[in-house]
Amino acid sequence: MVRLTDLPEEEREHLLGKNLQPLGSTPWVEKKKALSEMRIALITTAGIHRRGDTNFGFGDGSYRPIAAADADQLVMSHVSVNYDRSGFVEDLNVVLPLDRLNELADAGVIGSTADLHYSFMGAGLTPEMYEEGARDVARHLKADEVDAVFLTPV
Amino acid sequence: MCAIAYYLEDEGIMTTGIALVRENAEVFLPPRLLWVSFPLGRPMGNPNDPEFQTRVLKAGLELLSAEAGPVLEDFPEDAEVADTTPPVCPVSFSRSTDTESWVGQLHRELELLKPWYELSLSRRARTTVGLLNESIEALIETIGNAADDPDQPTDLMYLKSAIEDTKAYYLEAMTAQPGEYNFVHLQQQLWDDTVLGSAMRHLAAHFQRIEKLQVFARVLEPRQALVTGTRHD
Repeated sequence: MVRLTDLPEEEREHLLGKNLQPLGSTPWVEKKKALSEMRIALITTAGIHRRGDTNFGFGDGSYRPIAAADADQLVMSHVSVNYDRSGFVEDLNVVLPLDRLNELADAGVIGSTADLHYSFMGAGLTPEMYEEGARDVARHLKADEVDAVFLTPV
Repeated sequence: MCAIAYYLEDEGIMTTGIALVRENAEVFLPPRLLWVSFPLGRPMGNPNDPEFQTRVLKAGLELLSAEAGPVLEDFPEDAEVADTTPPVCPVSFSRSTDTESWVGQLHRELELLKPWYELSLSRRARTTVGLLNESIEALIETIGNAADDPDQPTDLMYLKSAIEDTKAYYLEAMTAQPGEYNFVHLQQQLWDDTVLGSAMRHLAAHFQRIEKLQVFARVLEPRQALVTGTRHD
């Protein structure tokens, strides 16, 4: 469990050390349509990408696009060793719930899934180091007419 | 991840998602997050539990209906670890105490794992090995040579990728049989019982002694292994 009270002191202090101050007041996009009409993309910071893509490196705030057809070709080059990887080894949906999202689209819970999803590496970077990549991804999402993103960390 | 949510929302894209460390989200205040009590590395819960994963995903997506934010809600369920007996590890690891090289020991261990890795490939129809376009024998050679002579000039990122690929190979082989595994036990087995675990600790200890490479040591060995490990070389 990631309840800090359950963790050893060193681990607790490390995770609290990742508390980052807000970049400013929280931006807020008003909902314009029902969830059942929304086009949804997934973004993970698990540092996964297609085999053959450039691996993530230290201090790397860049991103990699992932298509649903890539699901069986994904590898994880996240530099951290301080989280479980056996879940990802067994089932991609533990970190990137592509199958679950497609099922919700088929069931009409959401409108549709994006053509492309994206992966960053969340590894102790400052917030500003993600700005260029995140704004670039936003442009791609708009071109794909995506309404909302579901984010997963590791 | 909070920063990515901030920039996307600032660009006009609605965001929601998972928080694994509630305290981090409380401070940064991204627009909408669902805190889950699951282990680091498992934001959607346990593998092969589609109904549970769907409940997590739906709970996160429902935050998109909030009228105002920031919103930080708690998912009400824990991802329970099965209390059934996990499949027995297919390999009985034995670590040499003689003077055999790391390369030799690692190659012997690899031979034990190969049939189980093949079984994993057959069952899963995928592998997560492949950061480097190298054979497993070449990866083992890279790690073994570095452990046998850690002072030799080394491409550190290449070594790191070789280690991660090899760890993925081991994890897939050790969990080749279907069933529910306790990931803490798997981690302990990898680090405490295998030659690879000993070699990784040997390398991490070496880099830890070199001030400018201490950061690299920290991406070789987990913090918990540094605290609780019992068999440092």
